Formats: sequence, C-alpha cells, structure tokens
Amino acid sequence: MKELSMHILDIVMNSVKAEASLIEIEIEDSIKNNIIRIIIKDNGRGMSEETLNNVTNPFYTTRNTRKVGLGLPMLKEACERCNGNFKIVSEFGKGTMVESFFERNNIDRAPLGSMGVTMMTIINSLDDCELIYNHKTDKNSFQLSTAKIKEILDGIDIKSNDIMLWIKEYVDENIKELY
Amino acid sequence: MKSSELAKSLNLTLLVDVESEIHIEGVYIGDLLSIVMAKAKNNYAWITIQTHINIIAVAELLELSCIIIVENMEVDNDTLDKAKELNIPIFKTEKTAYEIACILYDMGIK
Repeated sequence: MKELSMHILDIVMNSVKAEASLIEIEIEDSIKNNIIRIIIKDNGRGMSEETLNNVTNPFYTTRNTRKVGLGLPMLKEACERCNGNFKIVSEFGKGTMVESFFERNNIDRAPLGSMGVTMMTIINSLDDCELIYNHKTDKNSFQLSTAKIKEILDGIDIKSNDIMLWIKEYVDENIKELY
Repeated sequence: MKSSELAKSLNLTLLVDVESEIHIEGVYIGDLLSIVMAKAKNNYAWITIQTHINIIAVAELLELSCIIIVENMEVDNDTLDKAKELNIPIFKTEKTAYEIACILYDMGIK
C-alpha cells in the first residue's frame, strides 16, 4: 500500500471484525534508532493456532466471500521489503497483537500518511469499542483516547460530523508537533 | 493463444505453463499490489518486478490472464508452485516493463 496508515486501517478492521471492545495502536517513530514500529493490539476473539499459522498466507482467509485475504500478507511484505520484520501473536478468546518494524530511512519504506484521516475513519467504524492511539517520537509523545473524548463530549455523538473533522485536525496537528 | 506461443512471440521464458488459452484484453504495469488490485482488470496481462507469492493472490483475485516478471527478477518457488496449482501462466524476461509493453502494443493489444 502507498502509505503505512492504510495498512494500519486495514489491520484495525480485522480487530473490529473480531469484536474487540478495546483497540490499541502504538506508533514509535524514531529517527535516532532509524526505526518505525507499529503495534496494533486488540482484545477481540483471537485466533486458533491453525489460523494464526496461516495468516500471512494470502490464500488463507476467514472470509467466505473471497478466496484470498491480503491484509496481513501485504503488511508482512511491506516490512520485509524495507529490512524490517513482522510478528503476530494471538490467543483464542483473549485477543491479537500485530507488531511491525520498518527501517525508517529505507528507500522502499512507504510514508506514514495522514493519521488524522485514518483515526477519523477508524473511529467512525467503531461500535461499542474504544480506541487508544499512542504516537511516540524522539522528542515527545501524543495520545488519543476515545473513552476520554466521549467523557468530555458528555453525550454528544463522537461520530457527528463536527467531532469527526475535529479529531482529524487534532490528530494531524498534534503529530506534526512531535517532529 | 497458448502460453508457449506468447512466450515465443515475446521472447519470454515460460516459468509456469497452463493448458488453457490465454486471452489478453489489456495490460497493467505496477509493483504496488494494493494499486494493482484497484486498477488492473479481468483478463489483463500484468507486468511487474514483484515475485512474492502475494502476486499470485492478486492474479487469482482479479482473474488476470498472466503475469510477466521483468528485469530478470528471481521468482520464489512457492510463487511458482501456487501459480501451477491455480493455472496462472508466469513468464520471465530480462527486458524492462516498458520494452515488454511496447511489444504487446505492437502485437495489437491497445
């Protein structure tokens, strides 16, 4: 995919389908260590060992409508293309964690993309599920928590247009300040 | 046309031969799988430098007519095995994507 944020969106949608009630996204972007580390963790239904062993095989998918599933295989390929690596751990009934590393200055490393748009899209697709997003750089860190936003909103729908647009700008502006 | 005939007329190495005829209705060139998935169409020949098994998944999903690996890239064995299993013809050449595209154009695929 053209941007790492598209991979994030794609993987988070797996968590949504796994009926998670909490999804955590952690991005560590370090120029000093020349690494981008992306962790997506959920408390969804998890996977059996058989499924887990097959997740990076594009011809294995839990969906019945399509013969192939490419989300995780493409992320793994994207990591390996730029000298990084990919790891997934999952436990049935407990949840799943996808961890990917990218060599930051690798020429084939896709840019991160707009996390504001990505967060807006993700939050808009969540029902009865909270999201925590942490973004860390060498300088500072930023956190977005839907539970905290909902507390402040005091009953106003987080998915209303104004709030969605605000989240997008809030995330993009705060991330810009981390660099 | 047969895959062996196509290999001959384009001077390609045939890595995975299939029984059925190949129908090429268009051509797509690209190495970023997500973009190829969005843009290439049924019965297109796909020219790429990618060799990972994921290319077979893309070809299967879109029902592409064949994959042409250019720049003499080494193709993974599991990629070839899966292509055989799914009857997807794979060709290889030392030529560039542009050169192959020109030949296909001259053959009347426009």
